[in-house]
Amino acid sequence: MSDLNNRIKDVIIESLELEDITPDDIVDSAPIFGKNEKGEGLGLDSIDALELGIAIKEKFGVTFSTVKEETKKHFASVDALAAYISEHSKG
Amino acid sequence: MKSIAGKVLFTAISVLYPLIVYCGLEFWGLSPRRLSLLLLSLAFFHFLNFTHNSSKLDRLRMAVLIALVLVCAVIAFFADNILFVKFYPVLVNLSLLVFFGFTLWRTPSFAFRMAMLGNKNLINSPSLKSVERYCNKVTLAWCVFFVVNTSISTTTVFIGSDKVWSLYNGLISYILVGIFFTVEFGIRKMVQSKMQSYVPVCDLEQDSRPDGALVAEGKTWGDFVSDVSKVRYYLEARENTPWILHCEDSYFFTVSLLAMLQSGRKALVTANRQDAFIKEIKKPEYGFLTDEPFTGDIAGMPATMIQDVLVSENAHCSDGDNSREIKFGKFDKTKAEMVMYTSGTTGEPKAVFKLFMQFENELFELVKVFGNDWVDRKVFSTVNHHHIYGLLFTALLPIATGLPFRRHRIDFPTELANIAGEAAVVASSPAFLKRLAAEADKPIDFKCPPIIYSSGGPLPVEVAQKASELVGYWPMEIYGSTETGGIAYRQSKNGAVWKPFEVCKMSVAENGCLNIKSSYILEAEGFTTGDLVDLYDDGRFLLKGRSDSIVKIEEKRISLPEVENRLKQTGLVQDVRVVPMVGKRQYLAAAIVLNEAGREKFAGLPKLAINNYFHDYLLQFIENTVSPKKWRYLEELPQNTEGKIRMRDIQALFNLPESPNFKILKFRREPGALTAKLLFPATSDYYDGHFPEFKLLPAVAQVDMVLRLARNFLDVPKKLSKIHRTKFASPILPDVPVMLKVSYNADAAKVTFSFTSMPDAQGNEKMHSSGSFTMNPEESLG
Repeated sequence: MSDLNNRIKDVIIESLELEDITPDDIVDSAPIFGKNEKGEGLGLDSIDALELGIAIKEKFGVTFSTVKEETKKHFASVDALAAYISEHSKG
Repeated sequence: MKSIAGKVLFTAISVLYPLIVYCGLEFWGLSPRRLSLLLLSLAFFHFLNFTHNSSKLDRLRMAVLIALVLVCAVIAFFADNILFVKFYPVLVNLSLLVFFGFTLWRTPSFAFRMAMLGNKNLINSPSLKSVERYCNKVTLAWCVFFVVNTSISTTTVFIGSDKVWSLYNGLISYILVGIFFTVEFGIRKMVQSKMQSYVPVCDLEQDSRPDGALVAEGKTWGDFVSDVSKVRYYLEARENTPWILHCEDSYFFTVSLLAMLQSGRKALVTANRQDAFIKEIKKPEYGFLTDEPFTGDIAGMPATMIQDVLVSENAHCSDGDNSREIKFGKFDKTKAEMVMYTSGTTGEPKAVFKLFMQFENELFELVKVFGNDWVDRKVFSTVNHHHIYGLLFTALLPIATGLPFRRHRIDFPTELANIAGEAAVVASSPAFLKRLAAEADKPIDFKCPPIIYSSGGPLPVEVAQKASELVGYWPMEIYGSTETGGIAYRQSKNGAVWKPFEVCKMSVAENGCLNIKSSYILEAEGFTTGDLVDLYDDGRFLLKGRSDSIVKIEEKRISLPEVENRLKQTGLVQDVRVVPMVGKRQYLAAAIVLNEAGREKFAGLPKLAINNYFHDYLLQFIENTVSPKKWRYLEELPQNTEGKIRMRDIQALFNLPESPNFKILKFRREPGALTAKLLFPATSDYYDGHFPEFKLLPAVAQVDMVLRLARNFLDVPKKLSKIHRTKFASPILPDVPVMLKVSYNADAAKVTFSFTSMPDAQGNEKMHSSGSFTMNPEESLG
């Protein structure tokens, strides 16, 4: 599980060309887009979301629903994304 | 009244009236009724003079005067009353008061009319406005004088004895007029001597100024004329070709430029004297006049040193040709040609063609607006006279106004203290004033506050304020460009709004940018700047940033200055530039210089925490998409030699991916050369195994660093073909900043570098390593 989380974090950093961020800086339960009330989160924007969606598809072979609300739920945090990927990946 | 005798008689009676009346009463036993006949005759004389007065309102004034004198005469005659006989001087005073007061209302004022009659050249002088202001004051003073005089005169009519009345109106009043006139004349002479002795540069002649007048240190007007003459002999003995001109010494520069203009040689004025640039602009037949040895390999004629010209032409003279006449005199400003080069804030430097007429018109305008402030001052400069602002303010203006100038630029803010004893005009720039504001800790004790101009970019209001605290003068900003010359001016303590020079006609172009038409722009359609503008009805305007400062990031419009201003609002940022970048996506990137509060606040925090702080702050005001995605924290923003910060330099910084292994603290990029202050933190991977006990930056990491920066900032080819002559003199230690200098000679495909320590207090640097590589320009292998 945590191995998958780390792989996801690598994909996020690499595909979005994030600077100054290491996988250790990303909190597993914190939002990927925007921030939570504790101020945690990567603060990525909607353009990043499109980019990241494509990268996750390519790396993990999963597809996402076209329903925006559902997809939003899967991208809520690294943990949520990992759960979705482990459930839906072909492997 | 036609006859002169009649006029003399009229004036005599009018002037001597109080005396005659007094004698009539006291000695000749004349009755008021008889004396009223004298008054009647004066009314008659006035009537005869009547038709001479041209203006309608003036005729009305005379008619009223005559009527009142008549009334007095008639009453005095019938009532046989002396009171009305005595009213005449009061009426004359009143009439003069009305006359002077009237010209204040319907300008030109009387004193100004007289001044214009006295000096036919006045109408074409840039001082015209200030002369007029002065004359209006004089006229007003006369009005006050007549009010007082009328009151006293009236008092003597009613309460004084005949003797007192006669004494005051027949003598004291005249003496007062005389004293008043003398004092005013004296003051006027003093003021006139303080007016600028302005002579258009194209009209300067040998006798325009006294031989002994100071031009620059150790150089008088006589020397100047003789030196210009020598350079003219030199130029005119050669074919008529354009000359490239670069002289660091302002005196040599001005001598050379004037000689070229007077000899009809086109002058290409360049601040950049690097081999590559000179080679680019120099055609084989062109001359190159300079005051520093030029080692570059240029085709055709080699560079000419002005010092050699001055010496050799002198020697030639003493060979017996002493009688050689001085060549110095007027030239045709509509034919004298020049080329200036822009500093390239927004793009590559470009050549701008100029006729000298354009500068001459602008000089006139500058003297008109600022000339009065400059009287008896000396001109100093912190800017380069090869660019338009420096050229106008520090070379042409002193010559046109006869003010002495200093030959060498002030390079460091600390030098300002050395000129504290001088009454100075300092042509400066935001770059210099920023450094002054940052470095000076206590006010400089000027004998009299210098007048400071700033041009080349906007001067932040806090810097202007700090400068005014330090030197006692709030810098006067000039807004302009190479293409347009000066457009407007402001002192930001009075607000951000710019007041245009009178000759500039402003309008807003279709793209929202400022368009200027003026007598110093050749194109009839004017020149459209890249600056967005809010234009008011009276021609004043506010600048809203550059048009290229509005960018679209993923379809969203955002103004770069807006983001920059928001970041400054945090109170933690001294300087910032936000630039648009294109990678996989479009995004903004911010290069920030923290101020003291910022450095304190973020001390010891990881970079990510600082990024997040600014990111979170910005999200209160702007959308996430247009908030900067990448951040760099520098010690200062990269400036080119003119102190301008170029977008492409900042973009180049972001093109180099951030690495935990090294930090760029500051850098400066010039054509083919890069200087960077670098730091290799102890945590850098570069030190892995090298050595755990005593960390040293390995040679391979140094070479890698050089290549990385050279490829990124200097467009050096990817492939390395040979490393040669590389010396490692002393080790580079962790967390100790070092200076890297890299240059690239594209013709030889050669990269040269040196790592040195930061200069110590004495300016000495220790060499860490140096060497050179040859690159392989064939990039076929990608």
